[in-house]
Amino acid sequence: MRKKSLDNKIFLQYVSLVLPGMLIFTVGLIIPLFMAFRYSFTSWNGMTKEMPFVGLENYKKFFTDSYVRDAWAFTIKFTIWNTIIQNVFALLFAMALDSAVKAKKIYRTIFFIPCLISALITGFVWLRMYSNILPKFNELIGAHFNFLLFGSKETVLLGLLIANNWQWIGYWMLIYLAALQSVPLELYEAAKVDGASRWKQFIHVTLPMLAPAFTICIVGITTGSLKVYDLMVSSTGGGPGRASTSIIYLIYNTAIGGRQYGYGSAMSISLVVVLLIIAVIQVGILRKREVQA
Amino acid sequence: MKKKNSIDIIEKQKYTKETFIVQILITIAALFFIAPIGIIINYSFKTKKELYLNSPLALAESFNVNNYITAFKKLNLLVTFGNTVFYTAVSVAALVVLCGAAAWAIARCKGKFFKFAYVYFVVGILIPYQALFLPIYIIGYKLALTNTRIGIILMYVATGMSFGVFIMTSFMSTIPVELEEAARIDGCSLYRTYFSIVMPLLKPAMATLTIMLTFQIWNDYLMASLFVSGKKLKTLTVAMQSLFSQQASDYTTALAAIVISILPLAILFICLQKYFIKGMTVGAVKG
Amino acid sequence: MKIKKLLSLTVVPTLVIASLTGCGTQTEAPSASEVTEAAPKEETKPAEEGKEQEKVVLKVLAGQSTTDAGVEDMIDEALAKKYPEITLEWECVDWGKDFQPKMQQYMQSGLPDIMIGKAQDVTTYGSQGLLGDLTGKEYISKVLDAALPGVTLDNKVYGLVYNALYQGVYYNKQIFKDNNIEIPKTQAELKAVIDKLNGLGITPFATHFVDTWSIGNITMQFAINDVFNKTPNWGDKLREGEATFTQSPEYRSAYEYNKLIFDNTWKDETFSLEQTEADARLVQGKAAMKVSGSWSIQNFLDVDEKFEFGIFPFPNQTGDSKLIFEPNITFMKSADSPYQDAIDKVFEVVTNDKELALEIYNYTKTASMLKDVTPTFTNPSQADIDKYASDGNIVDANTGNTQLQWGGFQEENAKDIAEWLQGNITIDDALKAADARKENSKP
Repeated sequence: MRKKSLDNKIFLQYVSLVLPGMLIFTVGLIIPLFMAFRYSFTSWNGMTKEMPFVGLENYKKFFTDSYVRDAWAFTIKFTIWNTIIQNVFALLFAMALDSAVKAKKIYRTIFFIPCLISALITGFVWLRMYSNILPKFNELIGAHFNFLLFGSKETVLLGLLIANNWQWIGYWMLIYLAALQSVPLELYEAAKVDGASRWKQFIHVTLPMLAPAFTICIVGITTGSLKVYDLMVSSTGGGPGRASTSIIYLIYNTAIGGRQYGYGSAMSISLVVVLLIIAVIQVGILRKREVQA
Repeated sequence: MKKKNSIDIIEKQKYTKETFIVQILITIAALFFIAPIGIIINYSFKTKKELYLNSPLALAESFNVNNYITAFKKLNLLVTFGNTVFYTAVSVAALVVLCGAAAWAIARCKGKFFKFAYVYFVVGILIPYQALFLPIYIIGYKLALTNTRIGIILMYVATGMSFGVFIMTSFMSTIPVELEEAARIDGCSLYRTYFSIVMPLLKPAMATLTIMLTFQIWNDYLMASLFVSGKKLKTLTVAMQSLFSQQASDYTTALAAIVISILPLAILFICLQKYFIKGMTVGAVKG
Repeated sequence: MKIKKLLSLTVVPTLVIASLTGCGTQTEAPSASEVTEAAPKEETKPAEEGKEQEKVVLKVLAGQSTTDAGVEDMIDEALAKKYPEITLEWECVDWGKDFQPKMQQYMQSGLPDIMIGKAQDVTTYGSQGLLGDLTGKEYISKVLDAALPGVTLDNKVYGLVYNALYQGVYYNKQIFKDNNIEIPKTQAELKAVIDKLNGLGITPFATHFVDTWSIGNITMQFAINDVFNKTPNWGDKLREGEATFTQSPEYRSAYEYNKLIFDNTWKDETFSLEQTEADARLVQGKAAMKVSGSWSIQNFLDVDEKFEFGIFPFPNQTGDSKLIFEPNITFMKSADSPYQDAIDKVFEVVTNDKELALEIYNYTKTASMLKDVTPTFTNPSQADIDKYASDGNIVDANTGNTQLQWGGFQEENAKDIAEWLQGNITIDDALKAADARKENSKP
């Protein structure tokens, strides 16, 4: 009996460790989510006192709205490319810096500095890079590269990807670098004893040891890219036309600029649902692989 | 055999032809990364006329700090900078303590409540608070938190919790249970155990989290513009936004402001690089 | 336990920083700012006639165009001289991006005492009964009569219009003079000018279409002279189903002018260029004209303080287009504020203090909307403006902006135009899309 009440006391103490954070989290994020859920059934404009109830109208509109479709298409393309490019380059850079190259610290600092800049400013800097600075570079070397990447529907995605990767590769590189440096040398030794080639060593020793880093990087990059917004605010403004309108950008524009708060809320809710599904799948797969490894 | 092995290991660190090629490639990459930064810094010393009339690649004609002086004044730098440091420091400190506590409890207890708590927190990673800003604001003013320092800090804590708990819980498995058990047998209360035994062990993880959160909060724009837009409470990013807005014309000042805003973090990074990497090691190695 | 300790530890730096911030704000007298900090709003009663010395803190939300940033310090200074007991607590945001979200926010929690926006905000917020009535106040009589209709709802004045921006075609006088080009009045004349410039190898128009607002702005300029000058209530008709974009030849031609400009500018670059670059190129003679507004003047003069430029209205179908003025800084007061007298005093200062007005106009490079104040900064286009104004050939941009909402409507239409110019959709698609979202068009 005594033991049980003691257990109970300890249990409550443990609970009390979780509660403060949980409370703030609930008030600051979860309750607003439910409020948005409620607004999503109204045609509220975000300003008036009354919020006319419209049932599922917003969700019906959502599924037929071509802007929503385009924004999703853009966001998904952006996310997929980002996940691939950022992971590959971050890993490559990390491997390069894990080799015998000289002046590692300098490279590390250079790659890392862009992520100290806010995305808002990154967008602005690249707008000027593409429109003024790089074309001058063309003149200098007498080439004719098309650097006006923000200027057309076909290239705006590439332009934003370059800007975004410029900013974030260094960050993920550090994580991979850390993981690489922690791979025990004995493992390589053992592999060598077994006569494994460099490539085989990479596949069988390095990659499995990188699994936790993969989880962090992939989840981080995917969820981050799906929520991309700041980057466009001061660069393309979602354009040209609507070519680089991400889903968050569309939500903000609809709810605030367009004063359709109810409809914007419906979009947010569906975004949360999609994110949820993706994350469950991702974490499931990655964790499983980690365990196997 | 043994001898050969050790030579191989040394070989990994030996400068070969391949390494030389890698060095060249990575130098090209580094140029791509540093160029925009260099251009920003160069621009920040140009006068408006130079900005418009000279080639963007030309060096600034003189070491002209006027832009910095203007930026300093326009951004009300002492105030906005102080605010940013304060909000970031306090929210990160609070987050590290709260996330550590929650993650520890979640990792040590097997009950349904804790399982639920973990999922509950982690789901939050997926909620784009950018899309919820109006309800967040409504909650904020109902609790009288808008345009207050404590309000913005609480909101940063709220939005940072999920990620923090996620990371911290991953690290928790590296902490040996034995020490805690010993402490408990010695009659330490749970809270004391947390603060005096677990937290020191969590240091590397906390470092990682601190780094990640500091960037996020330091550069945050949306939440700060919602909660602290009063002149005395503004953050650097919010103040800077006005230099980039529609029909803006004061780019030279804006560029000086960018340099000012990057500088502290960059210096911090360069000085503390070792700890940065160490902090991240823990995160990446034991997921 | 430790958390508490930590919190209390953090409170100390808060206080230190708070006190620092008090000193850091130079424009406020230290004593006044201390009172600001110390006195909760509830305790300060509205200043009444007899009790002049009672301190009042007014909250001000200022939606600024970038040219306006800095105006707040000038007002603070002038106010401190006349009414030291009134302190303004400023919140300055970007009008285009953050004013409406901020207003949405405050409509949930209570409006600030004074709001500074654009004249079109009067329509949006006044119609919801949020703004205080300014009719018959002494300071309103100081404002140019031409500025009043835009801020009047049901015969009541809700806004104090302070300055104005002029919109039209800014042109490089040197290029026009060197090549003997006359100011075009009709579409045919404009085409002749364009042909001549093309023949000379000069790009006719400077543009920066990466900014959607610029497309939206020029389209509205066209529409004001082709649509709203004939049918002032065209927006209402649209909503009632009596007019449509697809069936309005005037609106179609307003759209088509975009194409005319797009065909005669740096086509490849325009969707990558932002405003400063386009402005600079006009000054450098790389282009001859730019459909723009007074917001470009600061840029022009930054590049070359001797730049000679003029302005003319973009020619319309009927050859009678007018120069557009856009009332800009507009003071509004909250209907619910308990400090009505103090607010009136602030408005009195901004209208009566000529030195202040002059300082503001010269700083922002904008035109005065007060009857007896004329800015003294060098504005080479002033002669043109005076000419159109004295002939009565000026029109308020609000004739269009109070008919069609910007965010969610005009802005979306501008995006359609961008897509059309880039060849992704047809002009008919663009016009149809505008009709399809007409429920969002009410300001």
